[in-house]
Amino acid sequence: MTIWLNGLRTMGRLTAVLAAVLLTACAHTVSVDGQFPTPVGNQHPLTVGVYLSDDFRQFTYSENRDDRDEWNINTGRAQKNLFETVLGSMFRETISLAQYPSDLPQGLDLVIVPEVRELQFTMPRETRVNIFEVWIKYDMHAYNQRGDSVAEWVITAYGKTPTAFLKSQEAALAQAINVALRDAGATLYTGFTQVPELQAFIVNKQRALSMQEVTGEK
Amino acid sequence: MKSLSNLVAPLLLATAALASGGCTTVVIDEYRRSTGELAVGDSVVILGRRHSSEYETEPDLIDCVGDTLHSPEAGVNVIPEQQFVDALYPWFEPRKAPMHIKSLSKLMDIPDVRDRMEQYGVKYIVWIDGSTETTSSAGSIGCSISTAGAGCFGFGTWDKESDYEASVWDFRDQELSGKISADAQGTSYMPAIVVPIPLIARVQNNACKGMAAQLREFLLPPQSASR
Repeated sequence: MTIWLNGLRTMGRLTAVLAAVLLTACAHTVSVDGQFPTPVGNQHPLTVGVYLSDDFRQFTYSENRDDRDEWNINTGRAQKNLFETVLGSMFRETISLAQYPSDLPQGLDLVIVPEVRELQFTMPRETRVNIFEVWIKYDMHAYNQRGDSVAEWVITAYGKTPTAFLKSQEAALAQAINVALRDAGATLYTGFTQVPELQAFIVNKQRALSMQEVTGEK
Repeated sequence: MKSLSNLVAPLLLATAALASGGCTTVVIDEYRRSTGELAVGDSVVILGRRHSSEYETEPDLIDCVGDTLHSPEAGVNVIPEQQFVDALYPWFEPRKAPMHIKSLSKLMDIPDVRDRMEQYGVKYIVWIDGSTETTSSAGSIGCSISTAGAGCFGFGTWDKESDYEASVWDFRDQELSGKISADAQGTSYMPAIVVPIPLIARVQNNACKGMAAQLREFLLPPQSASR
């Protein structure tokens, strides 16, 4: 009887170890760490605070579905780099905020707070096309110094790898995410003035600045 | 001694096969609206169109055309694609890049962008759109390992087709200078008698070489191109 019990325990342990090994074998971890070029173009005449929350800076997308392997995709560092680079070049002055909404420095025209709403990806075997595709959606919020909402808009980004040939799944997916992040940066930069509320805000600011110049000259 | 010759013979056969490769046919067409005006100090940018979700112009094709065309001593200076796209971020990203010459002139209203383009001395922007695809394949190869050894047996064949179109924009004159199209087709074979011997048709590479040669004639002034 004792031999039977010992045998069952050993079998149980072996099954647990085997299950753990199999689970680990099917789990994929991707850490995206991209550097992005500084945009070229006109700067808006605004002083802007940028708050990237801890959730945003350390964002990890986790997925564990029955029809797919387990995936843990960390885009936090790359998207932090992207938003700091792009927003840093878009305005006359950009201040990185360690906290929000408390302890805001004086003189801010806007505070911009991005959030990741959604990340999706497809693998070549799912689409039968030899590419990896990634979609990322960001919710963008702009507040004034008092904390009132000035504008809310959505940025959608798309990226794909040219081919999955001779690449690991992780490397190919990281490449597609970097392409999607570049696309997000492009949409953020070129689409900022297409948000009606922000367009009006910039026009008002420009008008106020020209009024100041005129009264200053007088 | 006999075993050495047994080894060398298939190796020589494989090398000869690789050297001959599969057959490829390339057809280049050209539509020209103006003669080439590339002068000393001018640069050319070769860019791939990547806005379609169904295909994308391969970066290695763009690199190949750029590397083949780049020849400072002949007066052709090509700016690498990634360097140019990074320097003008985000205006030449796949979904933001100008699709028509009119959109390019609108882009030049931004002083910083115009300055950057002038710093690079850009005279021509060449947009290449297209891809290389495997159109059909047939045959099968089986490989096995046993105590007596390992080997493959069978025959495989596949067809590839390249279809590219290059639109040449004259950046300074803000006009379409012309278009060059390259259609290439080729069949690759892989017979396997113990060792698989690939007879690869370099379809994309031949399309690249054909396009680069035609582009050189297109961009340089007539007397320089004939040199």
